[in-house]
Amino acid sequence: MPVLARLFAGLMLFLVLVFLLAPIAIVIPISFSPSTVFSFPPTGFSLRWYENIRNADGIIKALWLSTQIAALSTAVSLVLGTLCAIAIVRGAIPGARLVSTFMISPLMIPGLVLGIAFLHAAREVGLRDGYIPLLLAHVVVTMPFIMRTVLASLALFDFTMVDAARMLGCAYPAALWRVLVPNILPGFVSGALFAFIVSFDNYPVSIFLVDVHTKTLPIQLLNQLEMSPDPTLAAVATVMIVLTILALFACDRLVGLRRMAAV
Amino acid sequence: MSALTAATEASVPKAAAAHLRIRQLGKRFGSNTVLRDLALSVEQGEFVSLLGPSGCGKTTLLRLIAGLMLPDTGTITIGDRDLTRTPPHKRNVGVVFQNYALFPHLTVAENVGFGLRNRKMAAAERKRRVAEALELVRMQEFAERSVTVLSGGQQQRIAVARAIVVEPAILLLDEPFSALDRKLRETMQIELRHILRNLGITSIFVTHDQDEALVMSDRIAVMNQGQIEHFGPPGDIYTNPKSLFVLEFVGQSTRLPGKVLQTITGRVEVETPLGHIRAPGSYLPGSRVVVAARPEAITLGEGPAGEFNTIKATLTDIVYLGAKTQLHFHGAAQDEAIQVDVARLPIGGLAPGAELSLRWRIADTMLFPAP
Ligand SMILES: Nc1ncnc2c1ncn2[C@@H]1O[C@H](COP(=O)(O)OP(=O)(O)OP(=O)(O)O)[C@@H](O)[C@H]1O
Ligand SMILES: [Mg+2]
Repeated sequence: MPVLARLFAGLMLFLVLVFLLAPIAIVIPISFSPSTVFSFPPTGFSLRWYENIRNADGIIKALWLSTQIAALSTAVSLVLGTLCAIAIVRGAIPGARLVSTFMISPLMIPGLVLGIAFLHAAREVGLRDGYIPLLLAHVVVTMPFIMRTVLASLALFDFTMVDAARMLGCAYPAALWRVLVPNILPGFVSGALFAFIVSFDNYPVSIFLVDVHTKTLPIQLLNQLEMSPDPTLAAVATVMIVLTILALFACDRLVGLRRMAAV
Repeated sequence: MSALTAATEASVPKAAAAHLRIRQLGKRFGSNTVLRDLALSVEQGEFVSLLGPSGCGKTTLLRLIAGLMLPDTGTITIGDRDLTRTPPHKRNVGVVFQNYALFPHLTVAENVGFGLRNRKMAAAERKRRVAEALELVRMQEFAERSVTVLSGGQQQRIAVARAIVVEPAILLLDEPFSALDRKLRETMQIELRHILRNLGITSIFVTHDQDEALVMSDRIAVMNQGQIEHFGPPGDIYTNPKSLFVLEFVGQSTRLPGKVLQTITGRVEVETPLGHIRAPGSYLPGSRVVVAARPEAITLGEGPAGEFNTIKATLTDIVYLGAKTQLHFHGAAQDEAIQVDVARLPIGGLAPGAELSLRWRIADTMLFPAP
């Protein structure tokens, strides 16, 4: 009964999509409602909660901090992770498999454990300022995502191309930049996108490392929810949904989502 | 007129001094000694093949010359520059890789222009040189295509163009034809030889296909276990191999083990399972040796004893190969395989099982110490 089977599969897909997307989609109309509590369906249209983002205590500051931390940790992970992945793939270091497992292991450790560990480590070495420990922790958290996609891309990359570039007059770093980087760009972009998002909405690790002056967005939002639970949060969420969609479009234009999904 | 076209028209200069000189080169990977005390001198404009079995160190030698690996011992000089420790991008050595290693993110023209860009050449000059190189390999129309849509033979041409456009002091080619089918391979061999001869580029070409080496080379270096056993012109390698390994590796031959009976005036008499065989040379009586002859040196029928070796053998098989016919014989003890190549079968034909006389000149008999 292939027709029936297809109908059934279509129905399942529809239900899954509704189940996954409905809660996300509902946030958008709520953010435009004039009501001071979360109410659905909205009773009118207003932008007051978007204006309120600016007034609400610390949200803009937290947004800026989260963006910084996510961008910096992604960049650091990209550079270090790629160099490490090259060493692993080329077998230039003993125990390459072990190293690769180690680099991906933060994925398998609960965030709370990592957070506590980082808190203690920071104390031990005398780091009081929240920023640096936070950044380092996020490098560790984002690293597995970069390593996974870059290792997968490198496994398909032909390193004789690097040799060819060197014979044509490129020093080794230049050869990597001009030949390796463009060819594994899809891996970089999808890895970086994942890493950025993972850092951006990380809660369990960050919660141990923030202080009064350095609060990342997820933590600030939760505080906000406790203090004044109004649709400002929905407005922030809507902005983030739009930004995510824009980022996906940008990536699609840059390398194509199909190629990104392939790595 | 650019240097490329100028070189096409100029005759190939043959300097007396060696262009590439390799001395006492050694390379080990852990406990695996891949090259030992290897020496090689290649003249300006020469086309040299490295021929040898898989794993004998051909690629390793090439990578050492390219600078993609560093040797444990020895020196490599090109012209009067000692390059032993120079990084690859400063060597001015061109390489055509076995899998071509074209850059898939660039067009054909960008691939060919890659090396010129690194030399900070003006865009207009670069464009002209790329066009010239593409013309040389007859790929002008493909300049703006992506390299990923090219066929194997076309990719090969681009790889060659990319390597020679920068006018390297020496060009290294690692089995560049191994991915092509036989017909295309033969066309490319002749074409490439023609291009490189005309440009006068000193080239070192790795292959484990002996026919390819014989067709293309000015000189062949036969490698075995990390050393060069014989370095000479193709004819010399074939007719006068320096070792049993070279004999066995290049071409076909009939080989008979034996013991030296005596040496008289530059002629050795050897006792073999098929009777006494004489060969030019000089050995102590009692030495264990191998006598050998090429299939085309052997003919049917007896000859005058002063000039020929004659044996009796049983015909086992007749293999018709077009231009020639291979006759397979075995001797009385059944385990000596003898191969004879004839252009034409005798009138009346031959039947397997017949016992025939075979002869070959004493002067065509080769003699090696037994392994
Ligand atoms: N990077 C390396 N690390 C360890 N061993 C190596 C390395 N490169 C080559 N070898 C070893 O060196 C030996 C010679 O290898 P090489 O590639 O030079 O042989 P080759 O003559 O080119 O063979 P082929 O005809 O199969 O290409 C082999 O035993 C190989 O295992
Ligand atoms: Mg090889």
